Amino acid sequence: MEKYWQIEKVNFKYNAALHILVCIIILGLAPVLMGVANLGKQDSAKVLEMYVALIGIVMLTPVFLPEQAKEIRDLTASKYMKSAYVYAVRFVGNSAALAVFLILFVAMLKNNHCEFPVIPYFLGTYVEMLFMGGLGLFFYGLCDNLVIGYMMPIMYYIAAIGSGSKFLKFFYPFSMVRGSYTEKWALAAAGILFIIGGIALRCRRK
Amino acid sequence: MFGQLFIKEIRQTVKSLIYWLVVLVLVLDFSSQLGKLEIMPEPKKGQEEYGVHYSKDKDVIIESTLGALLEEYYRESYSTYPIGFYKSVTLSDMETRKLEEIIKEATGLDGREEVDRAIDDWYAGQEQDSEQMVMAGSMKYKPTDELSYDKFVELMEEADDILGGGSKYGAAKRKQNAVVPMTYEDALEEYQALIKKDKLSGGYARLFSDYMVIFLGIVPVFLAVTRILRDRRAQVQELIYTRKSSSIVIVGSRFLAMLVMLLIPVLVISVIPLAQCIEYGSTAGVTVDFFAFVKYCFGWLVPTIMTALAVGMFLTELTDTALAVLVQGAWWFVSVFSSMQDIRGGMYGWNLIPRHNTELNWSEYHDGFSQLMANRIFYVALALVLVALTIVIYSQKRKGRMQIRGKILANRESKL
Repeated sequence: MEKYWQIEKVNFKYNAALHILVCIIILGLAPVLMGVANLGKQDSAKVLEMYVALIGIVMLTPVFLPEQAKEIRDLTASKYMKSAYVYAVRFVGNSAALAVFLILFVAMLKNNHCEFPVIPYFLGTYVEMLFMGGLGLFFYGLCDNLVIGYMMPIMYYIAAIGSGSKFLKFFYPFSMVRGSYTEKWALAAAGILFIIGGIALRCRRK
Repeated sequence: MFGQLFIKEIRQTVKSLIYWLVVLVLVLDFSSQLGKLEIMPEPKKGQEEYGVHYSKDKDVIIESTLGALLEEYYRESYSTYPIGFYKSVTLSDMETRKLEEIIKEATGLDGREEVDRAIDDWYAGQEQDSEQMVMAGSMKYKPTDELSYDKFVELMEEADDILGGGSKYGAAKRKQNAVVPMTYEDALEEYQALIKKDKLSGGYARLFSDYMVIFLGIVPVFLAVTRILRDRRAQVQELIYTRKSSSIVIVGSRFLAMLVMLLIPVLVISVIPLAQCIEYGSTAGVTVDFFAFVKYCFGWLVPTIMTALAVGMFLTELTDTALAVLVQGAWWFVSVFSSMQDIRGGMYGWNLIPRHNTELNWSEYHDGFSQLMANRIFYVALALVLVALTIVIYSQKRKGRMQIRGKILANRESKL
């Protein structure tokens, strides 16, 4: 357990810190850019699904970034601990950071008299974060290119805004705005597959 | 030298996976939004409805806007959309007093009691006629006799400032308060403008630009960041630094090659709606502007592409990271959501992503044309400034300075 904790400490210090700062900036700007008080169910869902969930891309996509250079990848591959464990620990750490951010944001909304069901909205938004972050992680693992990793979830997000549920169907990310949670199951399943697939693809890359 | 490097950069872009992903995104954007484009037929008399439009009648605008202001004042809660997201504003006592002065000057109603009475009277009047109640929609209120339109605009701008912007009283939303059903004559006038002023293809070129600019406000940054980071990943940076070519030539050829390569798929895709316009024009006997799509691609889309590319090149050269993706992503987010306040066009402002989500509304486009021109020129200038700064950074790196490599505090001995 100690070694996993050590991996996470190093990840937090050298890799995740900058991304955590970006998340803090994004969430900190929310009250300036939009209302975070006295919101009804629909507007609360809009803020959570269309804005807060974006930090999933920021936190989860760059999980492989420290080994971007091939020399470093070769070096870590020669170590006793498998790369998959290192990526998994980083992923769990970053996901935990996302959960903490989301808990704080949801608590802030509730404190500001926003009316919405806390647990379903928390889970729905968290699933969307994992899906968008997982999508980025998968394409980063597949193409070995961080920019493509960022690009795919951003394109998905724009497609969702532009075409609504017409093309995305069960993968429509803003379903809570319309009061539906069905899509979240599909996003959760696909998100898990993307994350596992992304890590597996990355581990196969030499 | 420039020509040779330009050709090399074109080849580099063609070989890049991300370029083809960008092309795919643009094709999907077009096919999902305009793939089933139907050219608008001439309106016929006796149609059930002709849609709605924003009235230009100043009296309708004033009465609708003042009605909305009184209702919000009555509820003591004001809805604003600073960047497209709902924001409820509650005013302090001092701000409320300022707003009361505005209401008094515009409507003659002095204080909460008189406003409450006016609102009660309005709804009592609506209830007397149940049919009218259905049609009534939002409240309307007549202004004082002395209130000129200019004074009304001034007062509403003041109210919008008090509310922090994005309210129903700002320029963009004021005209939206005055939504009225179109008559046959209105619909025919719109159609005639599309055929005569826009020569059909002009209207559709604007609609095409509106859909494409949403994606072109962000996808160029992916291409630019990847291109700049590729040198570092391939470890050829130092090798290129030692070459004879000047930094202006290296950076300039890269920028131009990416711009050209992004513009090519856009121009190719635009042939499809142009062909549809030509086909319709030949059967309906309408003269079509063959170059409308090219003009709009250059005038409307190129400044946005240039800016996104320049942001990508500048920040990547400066930081050696993918920071530009996050910065341009944030800019795109604010631009798109704030443009949603008025996607029918006319109010282009200084938005990186100007919207005009209809082939109609030529008159608003015409009225806002000078603002649109200023907007586009500004972004071309901004892009050129950022490219110039990229050249400066690149030159410094060639001299061994500014080797930041993603670390803010690295290379502290650097002279820059």
